Amino acid sequence: MGRGARGDSRVRVVIGLVDANNFYVSCERVFQPELEGQPVGVMSNNDGCIIARSEELKAMEIPMGVPAFKLEGLRRAQRIHLKSSNYELYGDMSGRLCQLLRDACPAVAPYSIDEMFVYLDGLTPAQCQAVGEALRRRIRRHLGLPVCVGLAPTHTLAKLANHAAKKRARYEGVCLLDAASKETAALLKELPVGEVWGIGRRLAERLAVQRIHTAWDLRECDHHDLRRRFSVVLARTALELRGTPCLSMNAVDEPRQRIMTSRSFGRPTGDKADVYSALSRHAQRSAEKLREQRSLTRAVMVFLATNRHRQDQPQYFPHAMIPLAAPSDDTRVVLAAVREGLEQVYRPDHRFMKAGVMLLDLVDAEQYQLSLLHQPPRHRHHPALMATLDDINRRMGQNKVRFGVEPEEASWHLRCGHRSDRFTTRWGELMKAGTHPGAIQACAERKKPLP
Amino acid sequence: MPSQPAHVATAWPLTFQPLAFPALYARAGFSGFPSPAQDYEQRTLDLNTRLIKNPTQTFYLTAIGDSMEGWGIFHDDLLVVDRSIQPRLGHILVALFDGEVLIKRYALYQGTPHLCSAHPLYPPLPLSGTECQLWGVVRAVIHEYVS
Repeated sequence: MGRGARGDSRVRVVIGLVDANNFYVSCERVFQPELEGQPVGVMSNNDGCIIARSEELKAMEIPMGVPAFKLEGLRRAQRIHLKSSNYELYGDMSGRLCQLLRDACPAVAPYSIDEMFVYLDGLTPAQCQAVGEALRRRIRRHLGLPVCVGLAPTHTLAKLANHAAKKRARYEGVCLLDAASKETAALLKELPVGEVWGIGRRLAERLAVQRIHTAWDLRECDHHDLRRRFSVVLARTALELRGTPCLSMNAVDEPRQRIMTSRSFGRPTGDKADVYSALSRHAQRSAEKLREQRSLTRAVMVFLATNRHRQDQPQYFPHAMIPLAAPSDDTRVVLAAVREGLEQVYRPDHRFMKAGVMLLDLVDAEQYQLSLLHQPPRHRHHPALMATLDDINRRMGQNKVRFGVEPEEASWHLRCGHRSDRFTTRWGELMKAGTHPGAIQACAERKKPLP
Repeated sequence: MPSQPAHVATAWPLTFQPLAFPALYARAGFSGFPSPAQDYEQRTLDLNTRLIKNPTQTFYLTAIGDSMEGWGIFHDDLLVVDRSIQPRLGHILVALFDGEVLIKRYALYQGTPHLCSAHPLYPPLPLSGTECQLWGVVRAVIHEYVS
């Protein structure tokens, strides 16, 4: 190895972003190979709108977020397949993807259900490229999931490299970008600034006024200037585009400042008990999330909403904010606040479409010290109780142990008429393999009741 | 390099979870005599570690049909399928054949690789010139006699 090469061999971390292609659709296809090559869409909670599309569905120019009922005709005509979201399946496959990466890479940071950062160090560019290709092949073979890999010196460039790997066939799913290369410059010049990681539509509009239209324009800005005129976050993004790492995943994963759990009812309801049982479940889930991130909440907000699109019905979008006497992560305290909030805002003669609970004004549980001014908490053993509750629910499945029993047929239970089987989490819903052609069909016909 | 934050740990596959029953901490009652087995305490046998070598890549399937009975796979049996195994002749595979999910034995027939069943009614399916895709290799079959 020559001297020049040595000078260049300071420890450089290459950041890879592994991002599954159309993750929800791909999960469906692993266990339902008949969906391969077909236009497939996955619908949001309650079968509301389209949240994931296969390439074939995109080619039909069906946009993201279109209400599912508008596609009902196409579905009936069997020209497209629509699936209810199957979060148990997606969550399990995501866990497998993460574990596979952990087995193969020194460090992994999951960023979302279908995007994971991996960190490689001490490798030459050619080796990084080879690792990327090997990961992509292995995930495809071992899990059945198609992914693209973007590799670059910073998170922001890795995101960009991943985008290129997805959109440009010549990369064959793996794109390694060097911060200083002509290739990177060309990509940055083509990319609208609004598509850079962390830059929203509003910010893009403000940048356009300053004649910053592409990612390249932003990269060329003086970062002190950006910091002064916009924010430190934008200045960091510009530096990241130049190849200087400024973001760490710890910053990305900062505990959330508020926790919201809300959901539409399967059908609208005016019944107070119904509304309360939905709120109660949201409250319990929120408190669980709160303990997961080791925070305490100082206030609980309850909100309800009627159906905006039914102008013939009385409209009502109330919310109630209940401050807590002392910061808490106790489910019982949150539930009491929710009951109080519901009493404040509930009115009969309205049909509610949605209910939610938000925990806000969060503080870090470790940093929060019980000062002498505060009253001691009422339930003295609550940390052990809550930890036991969370532990049981983690082991036995969500909502196994809960406060107050909700009626089975409550109207707010999810509508999921088109959900496929939960192939990896339920013994009764496993994928079937026939011992000969036609075996599965013959078996299904035997089970059918006689006409 | 950022450390892996604890609170973003994703769900572990079921097979990673500790067994529901605890290790044996044998004691000969409360009388105070230590158990002679104390120094030999071991975790009790776990079928997961025997049947599942690669939990991340292992999936369970249900067998449907009777034409693999000759190789010990009966209708409704539980298949432990490992997708990380490189298939070899003699393995039992889950494969996609003509849009169907099939279990077959990967074997030579008249000198070329075929997907074979154990039933005279279903002749071996040739691999060359067909759209056949490997899904996974069957590592074990579980047949429950009492349910």
